Amino acid sequence: MEETKKPMGWKELYLKEDWWAIYLGLGIVAATLIAFYTGSPLLKSLSVLPPSWTDFSKLVDHFSTNAVWYALQFFIWLTVFSISTKILGFKQSEYIPSFIFLYVLSILIFIIGEYKPLSANGFEAPLVALLIGLFISNTLPIPKWMDAGFRVEYYIKTGIVLLGATLPFMLVIWAGPTAFMQATIISVVTCLTIYFVAHKLFGLDKRFGAVLGVGAAICGVSAAIAVGGAVKAKKEHISITITLVTIWAIVMIFFIPYFSRMLNLAPGPVGAWVGSSEFADAAGFAAAVSYGKMVGNEEAAVRAFTLMKVIGRDIWLGIWSFIFALIACLKWEKEECGTRPDASEIWWRFPKFVLGFFIASVIITIITSGYSQADYDKIIKPELIKPIKSLRSWAFIFCFLSIGLTTRFKELAAAGKKPFWAFTIGVIVNATLGFILSVLVMGQFWIEKTAQ
Amino acid sequence: MEFTCRDCKYFNNDPAALERALPGLNALSSAYGSTRGENGICSKQDIYLSPIKSCRHFKHFDGG
Repeated sequence: MEETKKPMGWKELYLKEDWWAIYLGLGIVAATLIAFYTGSPLLKSLSVLPPSWTDFSKLVDHFSTNAVWYALQFFIWLTVFSISTKILGFKQSEYIPSFIFLYVLSILIFIIGEYKPLSANGFEAPLVALLIGLFISNTLPIPKWMDAGFRVEYYIKTGIVLLGATLPFMLVIWAGPTAFMQATIISVVTCLTIYFVAHKLFGLDKRFGAVLGVGAAICGVSAAIAVGGAVKAKKEHISITITLVTIWAIVMIFFIPYFSRMLNLAPGPVGAWVGSSEFADAAGFAAAVSYGKMVGNEEAAVRAFTLMKVIGRDIWLGIWSFIFALIACLKWEKEECGTRPDASEIWWRFPKFVLGFFIASVIITIITSGYSQADYDKIIKPELIKPIKSLRSWAFIFCFLSIGLTTRFKELAAAGKKPFWAFTIGVIVNATLGFILSVLVMGQFWIEKTAQ
Repeated sequence: MEFTCRDCKYFNNDPAALERALPGLNALSSAYGSTRGENGICSKQDIYLSPIKSCRHFKHFDGG
């Protein structure tokens, strides 16, 4: 007798990378806390990073002194990522060589990105990583199987959980509602603009309009593959949305930081602008980190970006998806709905790594609440926060490099004029409204909140 | 017993297969993330969807 397959349900605890990012991120936070309370220097040494440099001999000294720590750090990353990706279903014969390549290249990126004459002129490590990754993937014969190690989302989600440990939870409480309101205004306007231009003006299929709309309005490709399933989009329409999101996201990684630099904007408002107008977390972090480094205040840009993007946009994806599923079922295809949307989908589509971000933020906020500002700066920052930030930098650089290494322009689907213009009009509306609200209207708010 | 897309030979939601079928998906997202849920591709209708109750095209993956 034929049997029915059950839904994945709680198997996602080991079959979805969001949960692995939580385990890894919180594991690092726990290890750092143990080292902090026992007075062990292990985590500080393990979180080694290439320093800023101008004198090459000092760089050589750094690597000869810390070679063992780099080797140990590499071994730990490799072990944890190998175990988790094996459970997720990746072949280790593909993942391991690919990660070795990624790690070695990451060291090279740090060295280039930390070279002061370059970084002083806007060539920050995230942008260097992206450019070198794009160059390699689009000009050199890198085999496709190496994508196994270039896990953009896994690395950025791990980095976001670690970011939670450096973000005071009170900031989430104070600035979160504003971020949500601002992001929702921009998201709704962007989504409706694209939908109406695509469907009403250009006559494209309404499902396609919806997928393009959420792709620009919420969280890029992740939104497209969530809502696309809810409205039963054509496969081709998902591919075209991926193309448009990818191209515009990469344009924005460079446009927002350099345009903001030209206007000499403060990092907080720019982080908020990136958070409301970039399409994907990974691309947004590349832009926010780059601008923060350009103006010497990475934390302000990253904090505002995170509040706007993760709290303001990402966590509502399940609700957007559910609403579109309802519209599709009750309005677009009354005759052949199949299955009525189930509200539990809101939970199953929730980007779970955000839970890790919240937990890390709450834990560190509680632990550090008993310290005076002077003790925080003298003890907590160097002993507890710095190792977590350094390991976060590694996770981010793995991600930024992976974006470049997996973006092969010739493999992307051709978009066609109508989808291109519908999406592009949405991008213009989104970026303009994001700039007005984040910089002109709420600029002072973001400066104050991110200064705390 | 009610069949769904999960039981259909035309439906594929294996994350590796999805990343192959949708080029560029892994550049800024992932088929291994929570937000995709169990969405997959129906090769019969060439659509991308959440698993629903079996439709008129349904063919059990065992061949039934």
